[in-house]
Amino acid sequence: MAIRANPKLIDELEPYGAEDVVKCYHCGNCSAVCPFSEAPYVFPRRPMRYLQMGLEEKLKGDLQPWLCYYCGECSDQCPREAEPGETMMSLRRWLTSRYDWTGISRLFYKSWRYEVGAVVVVAILTIIGFLAFGFSQGSIDHYDGPNAFLPSSSIHIFDWTLAIVLLALLLSNAARMWWFTMGRDKTLRVSVGTYVSRAYLLVVHFFTQKRYSQCERKSPWLVHLGLMLSYVTMLILIMFFLAEMASGPGVDWRVHVFGYIATIGLVASTIVFLRRRIRKSSAAYKHSHESDWIFLILLLAVALTGITQHILHRYGVDVAANLMYVTHLAFVVPMLLLEVPFSKWSHLAYRPLAMYFAEVRAAGLEKAEREAAPAGDLQAA
Amino acid sequence: MEMAEPRIGVYVCNCGTNIAKVVDCDAVAESAAQLPGVVVARSYKYMCSNPGQEMIVQDIEEHSLERVIVAACSPRMHERTFRRALESAGLNPYFLEMANIREHVSWVHDDGEEATQKAKALVHAGVSRVARNEPLERMSVDMCPNTLVIGGGIAGMTAALEFADAGKKAYLVERLDHLGGNLARVDLTAPYLDSARDIITDRVRRVTESENVEVLLDAEVRSLEGFVGNFKATVHQNGRPGESGSDVALDVGSVVVCTGYKEFDASRITHYGYGKLPNVITSFEFERMLREGRVETKEGKPPQYVAIVHCVGSRSEEFHSYCSRVCCMTAIKYAREVKSALPGCYVSDVYVDMHAFGKGMEDFYERSSELKTLFLMYERGGHPVIRKADPGDDCGMLIQVDEQLSGEVIEIPADLVILMVGMEAREDSGDVARLVNISRDKDGWFIESHPKLDPVATTTEGIFIAGTCAAPKDIPDTVAQARAAAARILGKISVGKIEIDAVYAEVDEDHCSGCRICNELCPYVAIEYDPETKRSHVISALCKACGACVAACPSGAIKARHFTDEQIFAQIEGVLA
Repeated sequence: MAIRANPKLIDELEPYGAEDVVKCYHCGNCSAVCPFSEAPYVFPRRPMRYLQMGLEEKLKGDLQPWLCYYCGECSDQCPREAEPGETMMSLRRWLTSRYDWTGISRLFYKSWRYEVGAVVVVAILTIIGFLAFGFSQGSIDHYDGPNAFLPSSSIHIFDWTLAIVLLALLLSNAARMWWFTMGRDKTLRVSVGTYVSRAYLLVVHFFTQKRYSQCERKSPWLVHLGLMLSYVTMLILIMFFLAEMASGPGVDWRVHVFGYIATIGLVASTIVFLRRRIRKSSAAYKHSHESDWIFLILLLAVALTGITQHILHRYGVDVAANLMYVTHLAFVVPMLLLEVPFSKWSHLAYRPLAMYFAEVRAAGLEKAEREAAPAGDLQAA
Repeated sequence: MEMAEPRIGVYVCNCGTNIAKVVDCDAVAESAAQLPGVVVARSYKYMCSNPGQEMIVQDIEEHSLERVIVAACSPRMHERTFRRALESAGLNPYFLEMANIREHVSWVHDDGEEATQKAKALVHAGVSRVARNEPLERMSVDMCPNTLVIGGGIAGMTAALEFADAGKKAYLVERLDHLGGNLARVDLTAPYLDSARDIITDRVRRVTESENVEVLLDAEVRSLEGFVGNFKATVHQNGRPGESGSDVALDVGSVVVCTGYKEFDASRITHYGYGKLPNVITSFEFERMLREGRVETKEGKPPQYVAIVHCVGSRSEEFHSYCSRVCCMTAIKYAREVKSALPGCYVSDVYVDMHAFGKGMEDFYERSSELKTLFLMYERGGHPVIRKADPGDDCGMLIQVDEQLSGEVIEIPADLVILMVGMEAREDSGDVARLVNISRDKDGWFIESHPKLDPVATTTEGIFIAGTCAAPKDIPDTVAQARAAAARILGKISVGKIEIDAVYAEVDEDHCSGCRICNELCPYVAIEYDPETKRSHVISALCKACGACVAACPSGAIKARHFTDEQIFAQIEGVLA
């Protein structure tokens, strides 16, 4: 059965960053230099061809864009300046918008104005909400203690509520991802056992990003890993040790030492990434989509407001500390609520998932081949 | 009567080491020196070099040589060289004989001893033969300075203008009632997007205004008789409706055939639905649309999707195996023209291989691919299938392509499909070939004298071919050929006389029985039959000295000059001696 091509898809992908894919003439240099391109996953050439032809359904079910860490080697080697690396990146953005069932992601990628608008609205609502909450039950002069403006116990509940909402959104999108890439493929027969036996890969890929380390350039992997580990550390501290973090006036070093290291890691890696994007230091940083900037700026703002809030609190300037806390939350909430399920940050889930699915799929294909082989021999005999 | 042995000189060429590495050239010269009549025999490094030729000239003078044997390469290579050397020494050039000891000996044998034996035998054959060679004189005939140009397309008009510019008369015969040929049906030309109309209009004006070009419209050449320099053509010109036509007799020295091509009939390919699906059109129909300034479907709506299918009738086992050369870049031109007329339109280009040869073409292709033309590659031998779309589709038709770059079988939407129909030989090319006595290849294209070195001449002297009647080609190549043909002819006109080789067949009319076997046999139509005397006669200017008539004549009445029975038998005796 012929697959229907949609010549308009290439135009549709343009706001996602795929501007040069038309130039590709399929020499295959990109796939040859890519350290990950290996049967049955041959990229970037194949997804680029699918995109040129507008094979929308094929692309929607394609795991390959997620198998790329965008080292940029392919774009450097491309004789046509078709930017295969950026095409893969645009496909990830587009896939994010396809996995998302709410349609919010599509809006964000259609125009950065929607994303910035949403960030501003959520930030304002957050400010109003927390100010109202603070004034209703506490005093702006108190950072901690019984009369605290934003008591850690309440924020703790808020954090967990937010986490559950995010998890629900991410999981539902991840389920759609599974359906597009694995579930609806009738030719694919994978047992539950295969899924279970390879589940460890999810954790490995999430925490080590070991495939990234196979890229020729090691520094992007290290910075990326540093950013991720710093953030995860911070997340654990906030989700489980918020009371210890917030209470003063003394510093509990058992907790804070992790907090300080994570903060340094977060700020340093964010600044490194920002600098590289500003300087367009290599192929991977040459093309910055609006969503890339929004993400990095929010992350840096979260870190800097957090640091300021911490310093103000330590020096006992409680009014300023409380106001900075609200400001901090005004960056945190949109960053989590909008970036994780609908934009750039969703890759924290999709990429490890894709690598896990890809392994499962390859194992399934191999098994099918093994099973088919003896049958073929018998027929031949 | 036994004639006195003429004085013979033998020259054995080493050809550097080409001959000497296998053949013992000194031994060949020594053995030749023993042969009757041989007064001098030498071996030399390069006979064709100036010192080599001077050696012959000097020996002719010093030793009063009457005949010369050069044992060297093939006579195709250097016979003319050595004939000139003989002439410069005052000897008749036909007193030269060459023994081919390179192509026939050193290049094909390894055994030095046997090769030397063979070389000696060949030299012996030459010595035996050359004694019987006759002095022959070359003839020359007057060259008529008028030229007949058949076909009023871009090739014919260009050729005619070359003659006119040189102050020579050209008769331009066009079958239709207007000039311009197939190019007059084209809108813009690739890759610079010049208007074909401008190119044509300027040429039509110049041809029409020129005093030296006589344009015969609505006319056909009915007959052509004679030979190079002296043809007589009869051109039939149709009269206006109601009037009867008239025949015009023309004296011309040469003929340029520029009869062009016709486009492939797309309805022969059933899976493209041409003739059934109203919005499947040929490239020429699309050119017409462009010339009329509209790009639309039969329903009068601008198409959202346009698909261009390459190699329609070309490069296929079923139809024509050759490439039509111009369609790829014309297709690219269409992609650009569609995009400029309808910027929101999606253009797919369904091709087998993209042939972007020629000046400016690769750039043209590259620029076009940046216009978001979707290039889809199908396999040679396979073919896309065009069908009507289903009611829910946002397009009129769907084209199924087994796409080679992705390995997927896909369907692309189309509202207008342009079939890039190839070129094929005109159905009357056989008649034209017979008329001017030239040959056609398996596809019906006229055959040139040499595909690389003599691309506009034919095997019939005085008949030239230019443009797409010889093979598919683009405008620059066509124009270049037309000018090349004109240059070749103008060269002959400026000499004023045509030299005819002294080697041809002669009928001894006393022995001719008038059986006419030779008339039918001659591949060059060089033999005339005189019904009055009931004898056949060879037109020496047309004769190529193939010898077919000599062998066939039951009365032994035909003699091939320079290849007489006596000469050949002497040669055979020599080689066997």
